[in-house]
Amino acid sequence: MVKGNWALFEEDFYSISLILQTLMRSAGSRSVMLIDKTGQLINSIGEPPGFDVTSFSSLAAADFAANAQLAEMVGEKDFATLVHQGTNESLYLSLIANRVILVVLFDKKTSLGLVRLKARRASDELIVVLNRLFNKLQYRNEEATVPTLGAEFLAEADSEIDSLFRE
Amino acid sequence: MSLINYSSREINCKIVYYGPGLCGKTTNLQHIYSRVPQETRGKMISLATEMDRTLFFDFLPLELGQIRGFRTRFHLYTVPGQVYYNASRKLILKGVDGIVFVADSQIDRFDANVESLMNMHDNLSEHGLATEKVPLVMQYNKRDLPRVVSVADLEKELNPSQAPYFEAVALRGAGVFDTLKVACKLVLKTLG
Repeated sequence: MVKGNWALFEEDFYSISLILQTLMRSAGSRSVMLIDKTGQLINSIGEPPGFDVTSFSSLAAADFAANAQLAEMVGEKDFATLVHQGTNESLYLSLIANRVILVVLFDKKTSLGLVRLKARRASDELIVVLNRLFNKLQYRNEEATVPTLGAEFLAEADSEIDSLFRE
Repeated sequence: MSLINYSSREINCKIVYYGPGLCGKTTNLQHIYSRVPQETRGKMISLATEMDRTLFFDFLPLELGQIRGFRTRFHLYTVPGQVYYNASRKLILKGVDGIVFVADSQIDRFDANVESLMNMHDNLSEHGLATEKVPLVMQYNKRDLPRVVSVADLEKELNPSQAPYFEAVALRGAGVFDTLKVACKLVLKTLG
């Protein structure tokens, strides 16, 4: 991986977006998100949600992490999918390639069964793209540099940090 | 784990505030939230008990804006300090890019600092991370209180790797931004 981090490149981002769009349409859901297991939003497709997606991502990751611990306690490897069913809005969350969380936000216009079916199909496709991406990151690590984040980036970031984070 | 998205041109980094119970981790985030420009900060989330003790974590996203075409964000998290919440602490450390260790300077909290630091090492190693590889900033908080350990002694016992340190009174905001700035810069340096 790129110096212990993970990076998303344009071609992979478009492949992922396409899969998410297809999922959203075929499942009749309102929006679909892909979140890194550590709580960072990777991509969001569909109706712009009426909530803060950054906070949502951190909570979804925490939800998953807590549930994984519960799974372990009851002797399961993990709970690969979670469903939160509300009166009007529901959430379907599923762990993919042990790295990212697929979140489908849906309402009463569709059913959990359909969401589950389409999400499984999308997960299979996402695994292919993600594995390709991880292999690429492994390869780029050997090059040991990320060309766009150089000394100029650091200098500019430092001065921005100094000007924003002060009393 | 920092995430660089070359397509949407975003960089996200995770900084965790660690330390014993009641050392001032949440207070650090509350001060940052109250002072940074509104367009820089996102919504602050606190999963706390009714007594305002952190149950799972606090979360505050900060956005630096566009830097050489990249939207750069820092996600600040705190861990619950109380000893029995270790499972939660371990989860929050997952994917960490940098750590601020907030130590309580009071004499009678000295052992709690040592214990929390050891717990941090253990939890990091369970994630396959060596503490010396993770950018670390020490903050010696509550310097305004009467019975405090000297900075020299805190340094000797808690900071053998000589990570940058700051004295702080988080309740009044003293030292909070100095700590944050250095933590952010150290994290970005690991990406550059």
